[in-house]
Amino acid sequence: MAILLVLFIPRAASDPSFFVQILVYGLANGAIYALIALGYTMVYGIIELINFAHGDVFTLGAFVSLPLIGAFGLTEGQSASLGLYAALLVIAIIVMLILGGVNVLIERIAYRPLRHAPRLAPLITAVGMSFILEGAMYIWRGANNIHYPDFLPAGRISLGGSASIGYKDLIVIALAVVFVVVLTTFINRSKLGKAMRATAQDQDAAQLMGIDINRTIAATFFIGAILAGAGGIIFGLYFNTVRFDLGFQAGLFAFTAAVFGGIGNIQGAAIGGLFIGLVKAYSDGYFTSQLTDVWIFSILILVLVFRPTGLLGMRVPEK
Amino acid sequence: MRLSKLLAGLAVASLALAACGTSGGGTANKGTIKIGVDLPESGAEASDGIPTLNGVKYAVQTAGTVEGFTIEVSNLDDAVNGVHDPQKGAQNLQQFVNDSKVLGVVGPFNSSVARAEIPISNRAHLAQISPANTNQCLTKNIYIPTTLGAPKDITCKDAGILAPADLRPTGINNYFRVATTDDLQGPAMADYAVDVLKVTKLGVASDNEVYGKGIADTFSAEFKNKGGTVVKRQDFDTKSTNDFRGFLQSSKSLGAQGIYFGGTDSNKGCVVRSQASGIFAVDTPYMGGDGLQTSQCLKDAGQMASGIYAAVAAPNAEQIPESASIISGFKAAFSKKEDFGAYTMPAYDCAKILIAAIQRAIKANNGNMPTREQVRAEVAKTSDFTGALGKTSFDANGDTSQKIISIYQAKGTPVDWVWVKQINYAK
Repeated sequence: MAILLVLFIPRAASDPSFFVQILVYGLANGAIYALIALGYTMVYGIIELINFAHGDVFTLGAFVSLPLIGAFGLTEGQSASLGLYAALLVIAIIVMLILGGVNVLIERIAYRPLRHAPRLAPLITAVGMSFILEGAMYIWRGANNIHYPDFLPAGRISLGGSASIGYKDLIVIALAVVFVVVLTTFINRSKLGKAMRATAQDQDAAQLMGIDINRTIAATFFIGAILAGAGGIIFGLYFNTVRFDLGFQAGLFAFTAAVFGGIGNIQGAAIGGLFIGLVKAYSDGYFTSQLTDVWIFSILILVLVFRPTGLLGMRVPEK
Repeated sequence: MRLSKLLAGLAVASLALAACGTSGGGTANKGTIKIGVDLPESGAEASDGIPTLNGVKYAVQTAGTVEGFTIEVSNLDDAVNGVHDPQKGAQNLQQFVNDSKVLGVVGPFNSSVARAEIPISNRAHLAQISPANTNQCLTKNIYIPTTLGAPKDITCKDAGILAPADLRPTGINNYFRVATTDDLQGPAMADYAVDVLKVTKLGVASDNEVYGKGIADTFSAEFKNKGGTVVKRQDFDTKSTNDFRGFLQSSKSLGAQGIYFGGTDSNKGCVVRSQASGIFAVDTPYMGGDGLQTSQCLKDAGQMASGIYAAVAAPNAEQIPESASIISGFKAAFSKKEDFGAYTMPAYDCAKILIAAIQRAIKANNGNMPTREQVRAEVAKTSDFTGALGKTSFDANGDTSQKIISIYQAKGTPVDWVWVKQINYAK
């Protein structure tokens, strides 16, 4: 670690503009990881399942939105207008609803029957669901990189020196912040949010209080899928390319982010996502992208060994 | 009653068909000889592999029977999840080696796959001819020659790449190719960039594969040799990297007038281009090797497709007047536009060279099935073979005598690849 910092600091100081530039890309990347990490952390918080299929639900979001973009008659290169963004919003809402349905179905088929089984069993069905989703997307669109149309405005704002921030980056970061704030408020204030927190604390006690456990868990999966769907569309709009196996890598990174922030903890997942995005951007920018996975999964191992509750700790009492 | 009549009719018809089948062959059929074809046929690289496979199929179709043997194409896909995979290629070659009817192989498409395959075909003395491999270290010891401005020759070993001898355990060469090498393909684009496009500052990236890093290195050497500056150099693990904007942005801020990318479209070579939107203007030169010269690349690049330049390590058969009849014959048999690609005619020549060698080997063997070693020896003797690419001879390393690099530009509406120039490096 120390050697890395020694290597890193003089290089960062020699070109502060580049340092700032990488910061911008890291935050925008991190915002997307944060959206996926939220889904992981919510599901873990409530049923202590690492839902490995979540990364693929995220990819599915991008895949489902592509034909809708065609159906709405949107074509790449058309000038930015209110109509375009309204159409994108409608598409996003449809995608979120579809994915919510898919994720509730996944929960019903693959996880609910195993709720009282040993914990390894649902974990394995989660991996299986991940393969099924990937396989379905492979059959649907093949293994190509699929071009995702570029609709976000292309302008940039200078940050001094050669560094600049694109409208794209700002939009992605802003959307992620909005989702995190809305979600946190929802869970802290709404009745369903209260039911979710109660179920996370003690399922049996919550049931005795008249909370419908099945419906609450299904709602958690629904909300997780909404975030993943939004993440998928944002990913497509931002990177302009999607592939059927995208969710595997992105899912593992987001999982690391969730563990880093303290799995089960909403704010922790958001901060973890940003952190992983920054680590990835700085590793790609200053060292080599071959080593990026090594850093990120080293962080995962270090956190699991030395601080298994993560940065902010799990806000759910021990059972 | 009706059913039995129908059955009787079918039986008569099938008898007649069977009779046609045997009499159509003319002289007694001595059996089947297979030509193995190993290419990436699925996913992002189907747009490379399928047109190339078509070239082989057409060559076999037009060859008919050879000395009483039926020639058959046996093709295997070396793509896993849509991207060429060296291990899958090695497995495919093992499958060909195990099939005693396979006397020669056309392929592979990618240099990294070739590096895994050559040791396997070499042990079996199985001749392998590639239409598209360009990495210099597959056949030559020198990675970057002094002619590109290096103070001394940089060998493959110096660059940490296996040398040709390491790939050939028997010490006898069984690997040939009709595409010329990256110590020409990379520099050709550098020459074009400086002489024609008049750019002097570039960002250079690669997909860090044998092929991609190789052309990025030889490109950079020649570009510097001609007075250009590489302002930023990065090699990406493109399987896990989705964000190339950091590289593009910093190249731009360091004064780059364009980008050179060494790699293939399946390794996101043209996704990088699409992400340049908003950083570089449309039509800013974006250069690469034959790995970018595909229709998939143009799709990946989206609005930024125009202004991509790609070098291809083979002549464009459409520029050779004598090849016109071969191409028109091909287009009659394979009519769709996407059936024909940059490596269709090179693959056609590979298959024709192999078939000619098989024919000579059969004759030398008194009309009997030759051994693989006899076929390999005949391929090595190939001299002034006239095919769709002009005259091809193989040197002792297995390299072609043709040293032509073609330059293509993506332009027009809708954007498509247009041949702009060829550079002949033959002395």
